[in-house]
Amino acid sequence: MVSRRLTRRRVLAGAGAAGLALGGLTRRVRAAGAAPITIVINQSPWFDSFRKTVDLYQKESGNKVNLDVNPFAGSLEKQRSSVRANEGQFDLLIMNSGWFAEMYFGGFVTPINEIDAGFKLDPDVYTLDGSVYFDAEKKVMAPSGKLMSVPIAPLIPLLYYRGDLYKGAGLKPADTFAALEDNAKKLNHPPGIYGIVQRGARGTSSVSYDFYPYLFGFGGDVFKDRKSGDYTIRLNDDAGHIALDYYLRLAKEAGHPKTASLDQAEVIQNMVTGKAAHVMMVVSAWSQMDDPNKSAVVDKVEFAPTPHAPGLPPGPGLGHWLAGVAHNVPDDRKHAAVDFLKWYQTKDAQLANAKNGGIPISAAVYKDPISQERRFRWMPAMVESLPHAVNIFQFPQSAEVIAILDVGLNRAVAGEITAVDALNGMAGQIHDVMAKYGYKTGSLPLK
Amino acid sequence: MSARLGDDRVWRWVTLSPALLAMLALSVLPLANLFATSFLHVTWAQGHAVRSLVGVANYAALPADPLFRAGLVNTVVFAVAAVGAEMVLGFFLAVLCGRVGRGRIAYRTIFILPILVPGIVIGAIWKLMYNYDFGLINQIVGLAGVMPQDWLGSPETALLSVIVVDIWHWTPFCFLLCLAGLESLPQDVYEAARIDGASFRQELRYVTLPLMWPTLTVTLAFRLMVAFKVFDEVYLLTGGGPGTSTEVLSFTIFRRFFIEDRAGYGAAMSVAVIFLVCGLLVVALANRRRVVTTV
Repeated sequence: MVSRRLTRRRVLAGAGAAGLALGGLTRRVRAAGAAPITIVINQSPWFDSFRKTVDLYQKESGNKVNLDVNPFAGSLEKQRSSVRANEGQFDLLIMNSGWFAEMYFGGFVTPINEIDAGFKLDPDVYTLDGSVYFDAEKKVMAPSGKLMSVPIAPLIPLLYYRGDLYKGAGLKPADTFAALEDNAKKLNHPPGIYGIVQRGARGTSSVSYDFYPYLFGFGGDVFKDRKSGDYTIRLNDDAGHIALDYYLRLAKEAGHPKTASLDQAEVIQNMVTGKAAHVMMVVSAWSQMDDPNKSAVVDKVEFAPTPHAPGLPPGPGLGHWLAGVAHNVPDDRKHAAVDFLKWYQTKDAQLANAKNGGIPISAAVYKDPISQERRFRWMPAMVESLPHAVNIFQFPQSAEVIAILDVGLNRAVAGEITAVDALNGMAGQIHDVMAKYGYKTGSLPLK
Repeated sequence: MSARLGDDRVWRWVTLSPALLAMLALSVLPLANLFATSFLHVTWAQGHAVRSLVGVANYAALPADPLFRAGLVNTVVFAVAAVGAEMVLGFFLAVLCGRVGRGRIAYRTIFILPILVPGIVIGAIWKLMYNYDFGLINQIVGLAGVMPQDWLGSPETALLSVIVVDIWHWTPFCFLLCLAGLESLPQDVYEAARIDGASFRQELRYVTLPLMWPTLTVTLAFRLMVAFKVFDEVYLLTGGGPGTSTEVLSFTIFRRFFIEDRAGYGAAMSVAVIFLVCGLLVVALANRRRVVTTV
């Protein structure tokens, strides 16, 4: 008979075997499911589509994703608090074009390949003027740098126009500023309908964001050559003057009488209630146009790239959102965040995103037959515009410059100051900001 | 005897010290931290804060800041106009309410209603009231044949519109304090005045106002302090615009400190505003002490 007595050797051997078995089990559990992650995000018009896409990811992968949803400015504040702590609360930061530079320069996001050396950005994913990369040595956003983020929403403005009114008046879609002005004046019958409704209010990034397509479309810019780090101010050059004069003329002769106080919500409201013949609005508002619960113009709104001067391309300013992995969270959560990004950039995920009402980040979706469906009639305009999208601010002090632009432009729209004074004033203030922070800068002689 | 007194003093300090330390930790330390930060320039690199001493540069930059200048002017205009109107209205409503025989409680309840409304709701109420297309105010003026006005979007009317909201919101506060002051005044002085044949106007001029002066001064000082800190009404109704027509100091600090993330400069601006408000308080209280001594 075999003795069943426990010896010290048997106990130690049993404990060792149990330990090995438990270790193996833990590894299997970790391989099967990634750590839960928390994404900090803003409550934007496209958020609902993102939430649905995240739900799909959870269903397909079995991984847990928590969403921390905030107002626009609140999201920035929470991200700052989290990334500056010893250990961050949020794993994936959904960063806006106005503040992702702050996160890159501050070292608050971990380059994705430092988490997963094998991660590759899908070649179909738009890199949005190189803004997903950061070259820390040269302090520029270019493919020479490291991959810092993956786009979440490639938002740019498009021209929304009333196709039914165009048809009735026998107008052709406006591809140039001159055509837009003509069409807007012809369709301007206030107070029933305004030729164009512009976002002229002062905000965190309101009238400035509305003005960029005009500025870039006329060949102007705020800086001389931001890609090479030359921040000489050229906002008040001839192109800048032509652009602002045009913007103000359009508001005065074919626009809404209270342009100076209209923000994004009011502009959308004017379009969906049928009071606007044109708006230049971020693409993510498209789903509201065809929502019968919100819109009186279902199936009547058409989309085109933002107009431009003859011989120049359209100049939509990026108002996009990027996802970066926080630097101060545990490794397992960083890996889990990258797992989500890997899935998010696939064509299938982006097709689902589009069907949920989102804006795809992958060119593969825009080439898919889905793009020919009537409900996605904005997609061809996106394909045409995205290669020309401009990453406006590539330095962490962008909020100061945006604040100067929003105040100066709003004062010009409200009639407080002339276009010349506005441009010269803004140029002077922006120059002071860039000089204060040691950027290579200069200024043009005042007009 | 003196040794015992000394023991008492020591014991008093020992027992008070926890409360004093707590008070220091809660009030003085944050202010000291703010003051210290105002001499720094704070940036971020490699995930860590980089603090560099800039001396008084942040303070020196204040006068050249166009938003700070506009904010200062607008805040003074806002505080003087709004608080002035609130004091006058609050005082006369209190006088009238004090003379009402029946229904005084009903009037009092109605008058204090606006002060009970949360700031965010006030923003919603008045945003709707001022709406260009369907706001109640434009509908009312439309009945008189006046074209709709862009109350919050026009530089000429925006600040005035915000002042009106503040008057609506805060007059009940002045009314309550004045009413409490009026009800505590000695009635024999009024009886003597009436025996001497004083009219209502004379009573008001020679009895009520002098006796109410300490209450009015405290109310004025308190309201001025709060008015100098106005933020929610501006944030919700105009966002400081159009242009800089409703820019106020608190909103400028919010923008510089939180949106632009300029901790040092924002701290300097905050310290400057704290000094300004403290200066007002000192002037008001000194004035009150002088008047009380005279009376």
